[in-house]
Amino acid sequence: MDDDYSSGSVDADREMTRLWRTWRTVFEMLQDRGYEVTEEEVQISLGEFKHKYSDPLGYPDRNKMKIQARPTEAMQAKYTALKTNSNPDPQPDCGTIYVEFCPDSTGVGTKQVRTFNHFVDENNFHTGVFITQTPISPSAVRLLSGVPGRICEHFQEQDLLVNITRHELVPKHVLLSPEEKARLLQRYRLKESQLPRIQVSDPVARYLGLRRGQVVKIIRRSETAGRYASYRWVI
Amino acid sequence: MSTSRSNLKTSLPSAHAASTQSQSNMRHVPPNSNVSRQPERQPPNKPGADPRHLAIALHHAHRIQAQKDTESLILDRILELVTFPSSPSADPASPSPEDAQTFKSALIPFQPADYDNLIQERNIEGLCGYGLCPHEHRKDDSRGTYRITWGAKGSGPGGRGREMNIVPREKLEMWCSDECAERALYIRVQLAEEPVWERRADNARGKNLLLLEEGRTVTQRGKGKAATVGEVTGQLANFHMSGTPGSSNLAGDMSKLSVRDGAHFHELALERGDANPALRAGRVDIQIQENENLPFERVTAPEMRPGDDKGGSIEGYVPQEF
Repeated sequence: MDDDYSSGSVDADREMTRLWRTWRTVFEMLQDRGYEVTEEEVQISLGEFKHKYSDPLGYPDRNKMKIQARPTEAMQAKYTALKTNSNPDPQPDCGTIYVEFCPDSTGVGTKQVRTFNHFVDENNFHTGVFITQTPISPSAVRLLSGVPGRICEHFQEQDLLVNITRHELVPKHVLLSPEEKARLLQRYRLKESQLPRIQVSDPVARYLGLRRGQVVKIIRRSETAGRYASYRWVI
Repeated sequence: MSTSRSNLKTSLPSAHAASTQSQSNMRHVPPNSNVSRQPERQPPNKPGADPRHLAIALHHAHRIQAQKDTESLILDRILELVTFPSSPSADPASPSPEDAQTFKSALIPFQPADYDNLIQERNIEGLCGYGLCPHEHRKDDSRGTYRITWGAKGSGPGGRGREMNIVPREKLEMWCSDECAERALYIRVQLAEEPVWERRADNARGKNLLLLEEGRTVTQRGKGKAATVGEVTGQLANFHMSGTPGSSNLAGDMSKLSVRDGAHFHELALERGDANPALRAGRVDIQIQENENLPFERVTAPEMRPGDDKGGSIEGYVPQEF
Protein backbone atom coordinates (compact mmCIF):
# COMPACT_ATOMS: atom_id res chain seq x y z
CA MET A 1 0.00 0.00 0.00
CA ASP A 2 2.74 2.36 1.02
CA ASP A 3 4.71 1.33 -2.08
CA ASP A 4 1.72 1.97 -4.31
CA TYR A 5 1.26 5.42 -2.97
CA SER A 6 4.88 6.37 -3.38
CA SER A 7 5.07 4.99 -6.92
CA GLY A 8 1.95 7.01 -7.76
CA SER A 9 3.52 10.17 -6.45
CA VAL A 10 6.74 9.43 -8.35
CA ASP A 11 4.68 9.07 -11.51
CA ALA A 12 2.89 12.32 -10.82
CA ASP A 13 6.17 14.02 -10.10
CA ARG A 14 7.70 12.86 -13.33
CA GLU A 15 4.73 13.97 -15.38
CA MET A 16 4.69 17.31 -13.61
CA THR A 17 8.38 17.87 -14.34
CA ARG A 18 8.00 16.96 -17.97
CA LEU A 19 5.06 19.27 -18.34
CA TRP A 20 6.96 22.05 -16.61
CA ARG A 21 9.68 21.79 -19.20
CA THR A 22 7.12 21.88 -22.00
CA TRP A 23 5.50 24.88 -20.37
CA ARG A 24 8.77 26.77 -20.22
CA THR A 25 9.52 25.96 -23.86
CA VAL A 26 6.11 27.29 -24.82
CA PHE A 27 6.90 30.57 -23.12
CA GLU A 28 10.33 30.77 -24.68
CA MET A 29 8.65 30.11 -28.02
CA LEU A 30 6.18 32.93 -27.46
CA GLN A 31 9.03 35.22 -26.46
CA ASP A 32 11.09 34.29 -29.51
CA ARG A 33 8.13 34.88 -31.77
CA GLY A 34 7.76 38.33 -30.27
CA TYR A 35 4.77 38.11 -27.97
CA GLU A 36 4.49 40.03 -24.74
CA VAL A 37 5.51 37.68 -21.95
CA THR A 38 7.16 38.63 -18.70
CA GLU A 39 10.50 37.31 -17.56
CA GLU A 40 8.89 35.70 -14.48
CA GLU A 41 6.54 33.73 -16.70
CA VAL A 42 9.41 32.42 -18.78
CA GLN A 43 11.60 31.63 -15.78
CA ILE A 44 8.90 29.95 -13.70
CA SER A 45 10.41 27.53 -11.20
CA LEU A 46 9.27 23.95 -10.84
CA GLY A 47 7.95 24.56 -7.33
CA GLU A 48 5.83 27.45 -8.41
CA PHE A 49 4.57 25.58 -11.44
CA LYS A 50 3.57 22.64 -9.24
CA HIS A 51 1.83 24.93 -6.86
CA LYS A 52 -0.16 26.60 -9.61
CA TYR A 53 -1.10 23.81 -11.95
CA SER A 54 -1.38 20.55 -10.04
CA ASP A 55 -4.51 18.87 -8.80
CA PRO A 56 -4.82 17.54 -5.22
CA LEU A 57 -3.24 14.20 -6.25
CA GLY A 58 -0.14 15.91 -7.56
CA TYR A 59 -0.92 15.26 -11.21
CA PRO A 60 -0.95 18.20 -13.62
CA ASP A 61 -4.30 19.79 -14.29
CA ARG A 62 -4.18 20.69 -17.97
CA ASN A 63 -7.55 22.38 -17.93
CA LYS A 64 -5.98 25.26 -16.02
CA MET A 65 -3.11 25.58 -18.45
CA LYS A 66 -4.21 28.15 -20.96
CA ILE A 67 -2.07 31.02 -22.22
CA GLN A 68 -2.95 34.19 -24.02
CA ALA A 69 -0.38 36.67 -25.24
CA ARG A 70 -0.44 39.83 -27.31
CA PRO A 71 2.17 40.70 -29.91
CA THR A 72 4.73 43.37 -29.11
CA GLU A 73 5.19 46.52 -31.17
CA ALA A 74 8.28 45.06 -32.78
CA MET A 75 6.43 41.96 -33.85
CA GLN A 76 3.56 43.99 -35.25
CA ALA A 77 6.02 45.99 -37.30
CA LYS A 78 7.54 42.78 -38.60
CA TYR A 79 4.20 41.43 -39.69
CA THR A 80 3.00 44.57 -41.44
CA ALA A 81 3.07 44.32 -45.19
CA LEU A 82 4.67 47.02 -47.31
CA LYS A 83 2.61 50.01 -48.32
CA THR A 84 1.26 49.77 -51.82
CA ASN A 85 -0.88 52.08 -53.89
CA SER A 86 -3.91 49.88 -53.46
CA ASN A 87 -3.29 49.37 -49.75
CA PRO A 88 -1.76 52.57 -48.33
CA ASP A 89 -2.32 51.65 -44.68
CA PRO A 90 -1.58 47.92 -44.17
CA GLN A 91 -2.58 46.33 -40.88
CA PRO A 92 -0.22 43.93 -39.08
CA ASP A 93 -1.06 40.32 -39.84
CA CYS A 94 -0.72 39.08 -36.30
CA GLY A 95 -2.73 39.22 -33.13
CA THR A 96 -3.42 37.59 -29.82
CA ILE A 97 -2.20 34.03 -29.54
CA TYR A 98 -3.95 31.38 -27.51
CA VAL A 99 -2.29 28.21 -26.25
CA GLU A 100 -4.25 25.26 -24.93
CA PHE A 101 -3.11 21.96 -23.47
CA CYS A 102 -5.43 19.10 -24.31
CA PRO A 103 -6.32 17.13 -21.16
CA ASP A 104 -7.17 13.87 -22.99
CA SER A 105 -4.35 11.40 -22.65
CA THR A 106 -5.33 9.10 -25.53
CA GLY A 107 -7.04 9.42 -28.87
CA VAL A 108 -7.29 13.06 -29.75
CA GLY A 109 -9.56 13.31 -32.76
CA THR A 110 -11.75 15.72 -34.61
CA LYS A 111 -14.04 16.29 -31.65
CA GLN A 112 -11.45 18.02 -29.48
CA VAL A 113 -10.01 19.89 -32.44
CA ARG A 114 -13.44 21.15 -33.41
CA THR A 115 -14.01 22.44 -29.90
CA PHE A 116 -10.63 24.14 -29.99
CA ASN A 117 -11.29 25.70 -33.41
CA HIS A 118 -14.63 26.91 -32.19
CA PHE A 119 -13.11 28.47 -29.10
CA VAL A 120 -10.40 30.23 -31.11
CA ASP A 121 -12.96 31.52 -33.57
CA GLU A 122 -15.41 32.66 -30.93
CA ASN A 123 -12.86 34.60 -28.92
CA ASN A 124 -11.40 36.10 -32.07
CA PHE A 125 -7.85 34.94 -31.47
CA HIS A 126 -5.53 35.38 -34.40
CA THR A 127 -3.47 32.27 -33.73
CA GLY A 128 -4.19 29.12 -31.78
CA VAL A 129 -1.70 26.55 -30.53
CA PHE A 130 -3.07 23.16 -29.60
CA ILE A 131 -0.77 20.97 -27.51
CA THR A 132 -1.60 17.31 -27.03
CA GLN A 133 0.04 14.38 -25.32
CA THR A 134 -0.39 11.95 -28.21
CA PRO A 135 -0.36 12.39 -31.97
CA ILE A 136 -3.68 13.55 -33.39
CA SER A 137 -5.50 11.79 -36.21
CA PRO A 138 -4.90 12.84 -39.84
CA SER A 139 -8.38 14.22 -40.29
CA ALA A 140 -7.93 16.25 -37.12
CA VAL A 141 -4.74 17.75 -38.57
CA ARG A 142 -6.61 18.67 -41.73
CA LEU A 143 -9.44 20.16 -39.71
CA LEU A 144 -7.00 22.18 -37.61
CA SER A 145 -5.27 23.71 -40.61
CA GLY A 146 -8.51 24.43 -42.41
CA VAL A 147 -9.81 27.30 -40.31
CA PRO A 148 -10.33 30.24 -42.67
CA GLY A 149 -8.69 33.45 -41.51
CA ARG A 150 -7.04 31.93 -38.44
CA ILE A 151 -3.82 30.09 -37.91
CA CYS A 152 -4.01 26.96 -35.82
CA GLU A 153 -0.87 25.05 -34.98
CA HIS A 154 -0.38 21.74 -33.30
CA PHE A 155 2.46 20.47 -31.15
CA GLN A 156 2.95 17.36 -29.14
CA GLU A 157 4.11 17.80 -25.55
CA GLN A 158 7.18 15.72 -26.19
CA ASP A 159 8.16 17.92 -29.16
CA LEU A 160 8.51 20.84 -26.79
CA LEU A 161 10.24 18.99 -23.98
CA VAL A 162 13.50 20.66 -24.94
CA ASN A 163 13.83 23.92 -26.76
CA ILE A 164 15.46 22.90 -30.02
CA THR A 165 16.61 26.42 -30.86
CA ARG A 166 18.82 26.44 -27.74
CA HIS A 167 20.82 23.50 -29.06
CA GLU A 168 24.37 24.42 -30.02
CA LEU A 169 24.06 22.97 -33.51
CA VAL A 170 20.94 24.95 -34.38
CA PRO A 171 21.87 28.32 -35.87
CA LYS A 172 20.00 31.48 -35.08
CA HIS A 173 16.94 32.07 -37.27
CA VAL A 174 15.74 35.64 -37.59
CA LEU A 175 12.54 36.54 -39.40
CA LEU A 176 12.88 39.44 -41.82
CA SER A 177 10.22 42.11 -42.03
CA PRO A 178 8.73 42.85 -45.47
CA GLU A 179 10.94 45.95 -45.72
CA GLU A 180 14.10 44.00 -44.91
CA LYS A 181 13.06 41.35 -47.36
CA ALA A 182 12.54 43.91 -50.11
CA ARG A 183 15.93 45.45 -49.34
CA LEU A 184 17.63 42.06 -49.42
CA LEU A 185 16.09 41.21 -52.77
CA GLN A 186 17.10 44.59 -54.13
CA ARG A 187 20.62 44.33 -52.76
CA TYR A 188 21.27 41.01 -54.43
CA ARG A 189 19.00 41.71 -57.40
CA LEU A 190 17.02 38.57 -56.80
CA LYS A 191 13.51 37.38 -57.16
CA GLU A 192 12.33 35.69 -54.00
CA SER A 193 12.04 32.41 -55.86
CA GLN A 194 15.79 32.53 -56.40
CA LEU A 195 16.51 32.28 -52.69
CA PRO A 196 17.25 28.96 -51.00
CA ARG A 197 14.18 27.55 -49.32
CA ILE A 198 12.97 26.24 -46.00
CA GLN A 199 9.82 24.21 -45.47
CA VAL A 200 6.97 25.40 -43.29
CA SER A 201 7.12 22.00 -41.63
CA ASP A 202 10.78 22.48 -40.66
CA PRO A 203 11.08 22.15 -36.87
CA VAL A 204 12.54 25.63 -36.45
CA ALA A 205 9.99 27.09 -38.87
CA ARG A 206 7.24 25.48 -36.82
CA TYR A 207 8.78 26.81 -33.63
CA LEU A 208 8.84 30.34 -35.01
CA GLY A 209 5.43 29.98 -36.62
CA LEU A 210 6.74 31.01 -40.03
CA ARG A 211 4.35 31.47 -42.90
CA ARG A 212 4.70 30.80 -46.57
CA GLY A 213 6.44 33.63 -48.41
CA GLN A 214 8.42 34.99 -45.49
CA VAL A 215 12.20 35.09 -45.49
CA VAL A 216 14.39 34.08 -42.56
CA LYS A 217 17.99 35.04 -42.03
CA ILE A 218 20.08 32.22 -40.67
CA ILE A 219 23.20 33.28 -38.84
CA ARG A 220 25.86 30.64 -38.42
CA ARG A 221 29.26 30.76 -36.81
CA SER A 222 32.00 30.31 -39.32
CA GLU A 223 35.61 29.47 -38.60
CA THR A 224 36.90 31.58 -41.45
CA ALA A 225 34.46 34.43 -41.65
CA GLY A 226 33.34 34.77 -38.05
CA ARG A 227 29.68 34.98 -38.87
CA TYR A 228 27.94 33.78 -41.96
CA ALA A 229 24.41 34.78 -42.86
CA SER A 230 22.23 32.94 -45.30
CA TYR A 231 18.62 33.47 -46.22
CA ARG A 232 15.77 31.06 -46.69
CA TRP A 233 12.43 31.60 -48.36
CA VAL A 234 9.64 29.80 -46.50
CA ILE A 235 7.59 27.54 -48.73
CA MET B 1 0.63 31.55 -94.31
CA SER B 2 1.79 31.29 -97.88
CA THR B 3 -1.77 30.72 -98.99
CA SER B 4 -2.99 33.86 -97.29
CA ARG B 5 -0.22 35.85 -98.84
CA SER B 6 -1.16 34.61 -102.26
CA ASN B 7 -4.77 35.58 -101.51
CA LEU B 8 -3.67 39.14 -100.96
CA LYS B 9 -4.19 40.89 -104.25
CA THR B 10 -1.79 43.74 -103.72
CA SER B 11 1.87 44.45 -104.08
CA LEU B 12 2.11 46.98 -101.25
CA PRO B 13 4.73 45.81 -98.77
CA SER B 14 2.92 47.48 -95.84
CA ALA B 15 -0.20 45.46 -96.52
CA HIS B 16 1.81 42.27 -96.53
CA ALA B 17 3.47 43.27 -93.31
CA ALA B 18 0.09 43.87 -91.68
CA SER B 19 -1.24 40.56 -92.88
CA THR B 20 1.74 38.59 -91.53
CA GLN B 21 1.40 40.51 -88.28
CA SER B 22 -2.19 39.48 -87.85
CA GLN B 23 -1.32 35.95 -88.88
CA SER B 24 1.35 35.58 -86.23
CA ASN B 25 -1.09 36.90 -83.65
CA MET B 26 -3.74 34.50 -84.79
CA ARG B 27 -1.43 31.58 -84.39
CA HIS B 28 -1.06 32.16 -80.65
CA VAL B 29 -4.64 32.94 -79.90
CA PRO B 30 -6.92 29.96 -79.69
CA PRO B 31 -10.14 30.29 -81.64
CA ASN B 32 -12.28 31.43 -78.76
CA SER B 33 -13.65 34.89 -78.24
CA ASN B 34 -13.19 35.26 -74.50
CA VAL B 35 -9.54 34.35 -74.55
CA SER B 36 -8.70 36.33 -77.64
CA ARG B 37 -10.00 39.36 -75.82
CA GLN B 38 -7.44 38.95 -73.08
CA PRO B 39 -4.46 40.60 -74.73
CA GLU B 40 -6.45 43.83 -74.87
CA ARG B 41 -7.15 43.70 -71.17
CA GLN B 42 -3.53 43.07 -70.33
CA PRO B 43 -1.59 46.06 -69.04
CA PRO B 44 0.81 47.39 -71.64
CA ASN B 45 3.83 46.97 -69.37
CA LYS B 46 3.47 43.19 -69.48
CA PRO B 47 3.96 42.22 -73.06
CA GLY B 48 5.35 38.79 -72.16
CA ALA B 49 2.09 37.38 -70.79
CA ASP B 50 1.02 34.87 -73.37
CA PRO B 51 -2.72 34.11 -73.15
CA ARG B 52 -1.94 30.48 -73.76
CA HIS B 53 0.38 30.38 -70.76
CA LEU B 54 -2.20 32.20 -68.73
CA ALA B 55 -4.83 29.67 -69.73
CA ILE B 56 -2.59 26.76 -68.80
CA ALA B 57 -1.75 28.33 -65.45
CA LEU B 58 -5.44 28.87 -64.77
CA HIS B 59 -6.20 25.31 -65.80
CA HIS B 60 -3.74 23.95 -63.28
CA ALA B 61 -4.94 26.35 -60.61
CA HIS B 62 -8.48 25.10 -61.14
CA ARG B 63 -7.35 21.54 -60.87
CA ILE B 64 -5.60 22.20 -57.58
CA GLN B 65 -8.65 24.02 -56.31
CA ALA B 66 -10.89 21.09 -57.27
CA GLN B 67 -8.51 18.78 -55.46
CA LYS B 68 -8.70 20.90 -52.32
CA ASP B 69 -12.46 21.03 -52.54
CA THR B 70 -12.64 17.27 -52.79
CA GLU B 71 -10.38 16.88 -49.79
CA SER B 72 -12.59 19.12 -47.70
CA LEU B 73 -15.63 17.23 -48.95
CA ILE B 74 -14.08 13.97 -47.79
CA LEU B 75 -13.26 15.53 -44.43
CA ASP B 76 -16.89 16.62 -44.08
CA ARG B 77 -18.02 13.12 -44.96
CA ILE B 78 -15.72 11.66 -42.31
CA LEU B 79 -17.11 14.04 -39.71
CA GLU B 80 -20.62 13.05 -40.76
CA LEU B 81 -19.95 9.34 -40.61
CA VAL B 82 -18.17 9.47 -37.25
CA THR B 83 -21.46 9.50 -35.40
CA PHE B 84 -23.29 7.18 -37.77
CA PRO B 85 -25.81 5.46 -37.58
CA SER B 86 -28.26 7.86 -36.02
CA SER B 87 -30.24 5.39 -33.93
CA PRO B 88 -28.34 3.53 -31.19
CA SER B 89 -30.41 0.36 -31.71
CA ALA B 90 -29.47 -0.11 -35.37
CA ASP B 91 -28.37 -3.59 -36.29
CA PRO B 92 -25.12 -3.71 -38.28
CA ALA B 93 -26.18 -7.00 -39.90
CA SER B 94 -29.34 -5.56 -41.38
CA PRO B 95 -29.11 -1.77 -41.52
CA SER B 96 -32.09 0.28 -42.53
CA PRO B 97 -32.14 0.97 -46.29
CA GLU B 98 -31.79 4.74 -45.79
CA ASP B 99 -28.74 4.31 -43.56
CA ALA B 100 -27.13 1.88 -45.95
CA GLN B 101 -27.80 4.17 -48.87
CA THR B 102 -26.39 7.23 -47.11
CA PHE B 103 -23.37 5.29 -46.00
CA LYS B 104 -22.64 3.95 -49.46
CA SER B 105 -23.14 7.22 -51.27
CA ALA B 106 -20.97 9.03 -48.73
CA LEU B 107 -18.15 6.57 -49.31
CA ILE B 108 -18.00 7.06 -53.08
CA PRO B 109 -15.20 9.68 -53.11
CA PHE B 110 -13.18 7.80 -50.50
CA GLN B 111 -9.82 6.18 -50.98
CA PRO B 112 -8.82 3.30 -48.71
CA ALA B 113 -6.62 5.69 -46.70
CA ASP B 114 -9.57 8.01 -46.09
CA TYR B 115 -11.59 5.02 -44.99
CA ASP B 116 -8.85 4.14 -42.50
CA ASN B 117 -9.03 7.67 -41.17
CA LEU B 118 -12.76 7.25 -40.71
CA ILE B 119 -12.20 4.02 -38.75
CA GLN B 120 -9.60 5.73 -36.57
CA GLU B 121 -11.90 8.68 -35.97
CA ARG B 122 -14.75 6.36 -34.96
CA ASN B 123 -12.49 4.49 -32.59
CA ILE B 124 -11.46 7.73 -30.95
CA GLU B 125 -15.13 8.40 -30.43
CA GLY B 126 -15.36 4.96 -28.84
CA LEU B 127 -17.41 3.40 -31.62
CA CYS B 128 -16.87 0.30 -33.69
CA GLY B 129 -14.97 1.06 -36.89
CA TYR B 130 -17.75 -0.18 -39.16
CA GLY B 131 -19.82 2.80 -40.21
CA LEU B 132 -23.20 1.12 -39.79
CA CYS B 133 -22.55 -0.28 -36.34
CA PRO B 134 -23.69 1.72 -33.31
CA HIS B 135 -21.89 -0.42 -30.73
CA GLU B 136 -18.75 0.41 -28.83
CA HIS B 137 -15.49 -1.05 -29.97
CA ARG B 138 -13.78 -3.79 -27.98
CA LYS B 139 -11.60 -2.69 -25.14
CA ASP B 140 -8.96 -4.89 -23.64
CA ASP B 141 -7.70 -3.65 -20.34
CA SER B 142 -4.79 -6.02 -20.04
CA ARG B 143 -1.47 -4.85 -21.34
CA GLY B 144 0.55 -6.42 -24.13
CA THR B 145 0.66 -5.45 -27.74
CA TYR B 146 -0.51 -8.77 -29.20
CA ARG B 147 -3.46 -11.06 -28.72
CA ILE B 148 -3.96 -14.69 -29.59
CA THR B 149 -7.24 -15.49 -31.28
CA TRP B 150 -8.60 -18.98 -31.72
CA GLY B 151 -10.71 -19.99 -34.68
CA ALA B 152 -13.68 -22.34 -34.70
CA LYS B 153 -13.23 -26.05 -34.05
CA GLY B 154 -11.77 -27.85 -37.02
CA SER B 155 -10.33 -24.71 -38.60
CA GLY B 156 -6.72 -25.65 -37.91
CA PRO B 157 -4.20 -27.17 -40.31
CA GLY B 158 -5.51 -30.35 -41.89
CA GLY B 159 -8.97 -29.78 -40.51
CA ARG B 160 -7.91 -30.69 -37.00
CA GLY B 161 -7.67 -28.52 -33.95
CA ARG B 162 -8.22 -24.79 -33.95
CA GLU B 163 -6.65 -22.09 -36.02
CA MET B 164 -4.46 -19.74 -34.02
CA ASN B 165 -3.69 -16.16 -34.97
CA ILE B 166 -1.50 -13.60 -33.30
CA VAL B 167 -3.06 -10.22 -33.85
CA PRO B 168 -1.91 -6.75 -32.77
CA ARG B 169 -4.15 -5.41 -30.08
CA GLU B 170 -5.04 -2.22 -31.98
CA LYS B 171 -6.39 -4.28 -34.85
CA LEU B 172 -8.67 -6.18 -32.53
CA GLU B 173 -9.81 -3.08 -30.73
CA MET B 174 -10.92 -1.38 -33.92
CA TRP B 175 -14.14 -3.38 -34.06
CA CYS B 176 -16.94 -4.52 -31.82
CA SER B 177 -16.87 -8.05 -33.24
CA ASP B 178 -15.23 -10.13 -35.94
CA GLU B 179 -18.37 -9.87 -38.06
CA CYS B 180 -18.15 -6.10 -38.08
CA ALA B 181 -14.47 -6.31 -39.00
CA GLU B 182 -15.38 -8.47 -41.96
CA ARG B 183 -18.15 -6.12 -43.03
CA ALA B 184 -15.92 -3.06 -42.78
CA LEU B 185 -13.05 -4.63 -44.68
CA TYR B 186 -15.44 -5.91 -47.33
CA ILE B 187 -16.30 -2.29 -48.02
CA ARG B 188 -12.66 -1.22 -47.91
CA VAL B 189 -11.53 -3.53 -50.70
CA GLN B 190 -14.23 -2.15 -52.97
CA LEU B 191 -13.05 1.44 -52.70
CA ALA B 192 -11.14 2.84 -55.65
CA GLU B 193 -7.42 3.29 -55.10
CA GLU B 194 -6.98 6.44 -57.13
CA PRO B 195 -8.18 9.80 -55.80
CA VAL B 196 -11.55 10.97 -57.05
CA TRP B 197 -10.12 13.77 -59.21
CA GLU B 198 -8.14 11.27 -61.23
CA ARG B 199 -10.89 8.74 -61.74
CA ARG B 200 -12.22 8.10 -65.17
CA ALA B 201 -15.90 8.66 -65.76
CA ASP B 202 -16.45 5.14 -67.02
CA ASN B 203 -14.64 3.47 -64.16
CA ALA B 204 -17.33 1.66 -62.23
CA ARG B 205 -15.02 0.66 -59.39
CA GLY B 206 -15.87 2.29 -56.12
CA LYS B 207 -19.24 3.50 -57.34
CA ASN B 208 -21.44 0.48 -56.74
CA LEU B 209 -20.47 -0.47 -53.23
CA LEU B 210 -22.04 -3.57 -51.78
CA LEU B 211 -22.43 -4.32 -48.13
CA LEU B 212 -21.24 -7.76 -47.06
CA GLU B 213 -24.79 -9.06 -46.68
CA GLU B 214 -25.74 -7.82 -50.15
CA GLY B 215 -22.57 -9.28 -51.56
CA ARG B 216 -23.41 -12.65 -50.05
CA THR B 217 -26.85 -12.73 -51.59
CA VAL B 218 -25.38 -11.83 -54.96
CA THR B 219 -22.80 -14.61 -54.84
CA GLN B 220 -25.42 -17.08 -53.66
CA ARG B 221 -27.55 -16.20 -56.63
CA GLY B 222 -24.56 -16.55 -58.87
CA LYS B 223 -23.96 -20.05 -57.60
CA GLY B 224 -27.46 -21.00 -58.57
CA LYS B 225 -28.73 -21.41 -55.06
CA ALA B 226 -32.31 -20.61 -54.40
CA ALA B 227 -32.82 -16.92 -53.89
CA THR B 228 -36.26 -15.90 -52.78
CA VAL B 229 -38.24 -13.51 -54.88
CA GLY B 230 -38.23 -11.00 -52.06
CA GLU B 231 -34.45 -10.94 -51.93
CA VAL B 232 -34.17 -10.39 -55.63
CA THR B 233 -36.66 -7.56 -55.68
CA GLY B 234 -34.90 -6.06 -52.70
CA GLN B 235 -31.66 -6.14 -54.62
CA LEU B 236 -33.29 -4.59 -57.64
CA ALA B 237 -34.78 -1.84 -55.51
CA ASN B 238 -31.35 -1.17 -54.12
CA PHE B 239 -29.86 -0.94 -57.55
CA HIS B 240 -32.58 1.42 -58.68
CA MET B 241 -31.98 3.60 -55.69
CA SER B 242 -28.32 3.84 -56.41
CA GLY B 243 -29.22 4.99 -59.88
CA THR B 244 -31.58 7.81 -58.98
CA PRO B 245 -29.87 11.16 -59.02
CA GLY B 246 -32.01 12.59 -56.23
CA SER B 247 -30.90 10.17 -53.55
CA SER B 248 -27.87 12.23 -52.69
CA ASN B 249 -26.02 15.10 -54.19
CA LEU B 250 -22.89 13.17 -54.86
CA ALA B 251 -24.64 10.03 -56.03
CA GLY B 252 -26.41 12.23 -58.52
CA ASP B 253 -23.19 13.79 -59.66
CA MET B 254 -21.55 10.44 -59.97
CA SER B 255 -24.37 8.98 -62.01
CA LYS B 256 -24.09 12.01 -64.22
CA LEU B 257 -20.45 11.26 -64.77
CA SER B 258 -21.22 7.91 -66.26
CA VAL B 259 -23.56 9.36 -68.86
CA ARG B 260 -21.59 9.88 -72.02
CA ASP B 261 -23.97 12.03 -74.03
CA GLY B 262 -22.83 15.38 -75.32
CA ALA B 263 -24.29 17.81 -72.81
CA HIS B 264 -23.07 15.95 -69.76
CA PHE B 265 -19.75 15.28 -71.35
CA HIS B 266 -19.29 18.95 -72.01
CA GLU B 267 -20.39 19.82 -68.49
CA LEU B 268 -17.94 17.35 -67.07
CA ALA B 269 -15.14 18.69 -69.22
CA LEU B 270 -15.98 22.19 -68.05
CA GLU B 271 -15.95 21.09 -64.44
CA ARG B 272 -12.60 19.45 -64.83
CA GLY B 273 -11.15 22.43 -66.62
CA ASP B 274 -10.59 20.39 -69.77
CA ALA B 275 -12.90 22.66 -71.70
CA ASN B 276 -10.25 25.29 -71.59
CA PRO B 277 -9.90 26.58 -75.12
CA ALA B 278 -6.13 26.67 -74.92
CA LEU B 279 -6.04 23.00 -74.16
CA ARG B 280 -8.70 21.79 -76.52
CA ALA B 281 -6.05 20.57 -78.86
CA GLY B 282 -3.84 19.33 -76.08
CA ARG B 283 -0.81 21.07 -74.67
CA VAL B 284 1.46 19.91 -77.44
CA ASP B 285 0.61 20.58 -81.02
CA ILE B 286 0.43 17.12 -82.50
CA GLN B 287 -0.22 16.65 -86.19
CA ILE B 288 -0.47 13.10 -87.34
CA GLN B 289 0.37 12.74 -90.97
CA GLU B 290 -0.24 9.43 -92.67
CA ASN B 291 1.93 8.66 -95.60
CA GLU B 292 -0.33 7.84 -98.49
CA ASN B 293 0.40 6.54 -101.98
CA LEU B 294 3.19 4.34 -100.80
CA PRO B 295 4.38 2.20 -103.69
CA PHE B 296 2.69 -1.13 -103.18
CA GLU B 297 4.87 -3.98 -104.24
CA ARG B 298 4.63 -7.65 -103.84
CA VAL B 299 7.08 -8.82 -101.29
CA THR B 300 9.01 -11.79 -102.55
CA ALA B 301 11.65 -13.93 -101.08
CA PRO B 302 15.21 -12.98 -102.03
CA GLU B 303 16.51 -14.73 -105.11
CA MET B 304 19.99 -15.48 -106.37
CA ARG B 305 21.13 -12.89 -108.82
CA PRO B 306 24.02 -13.31 -111.14
CA GLY B 307 27.30 -12.70 -109.36
CA ASP B 308 25.83 -13.30 -105.89
CA ASP B 309 27.85 -16.50 -105.57
CA LYS B 310 31.00 -14.36 -105.52
CA GLY B 311 29.68 -12.05 -102.85
CA GLY B 312 27.59 -9.76 -105.08
CA SER B 313 27.86 -6.02 -105.15
CA ILE B 314 28.25 -3.72 -102.19
CA GLU B 315 25.92 -0.81 -102.87
CA GLY B 316 26.63 -1.10 -106.53
CA TYR B 317 30.37 -1.74 -106.21
CA VAL B 318 31.49 -5.11 -107.31
CA PRO B 319 34.76 -6.16 -105.71
CA GLN B 320 37.39 -7.05 -108.24
CA GLU B 321 38.87 -10.47 -108.37
CA PHE B 322 42.61 -10.71 -108.29
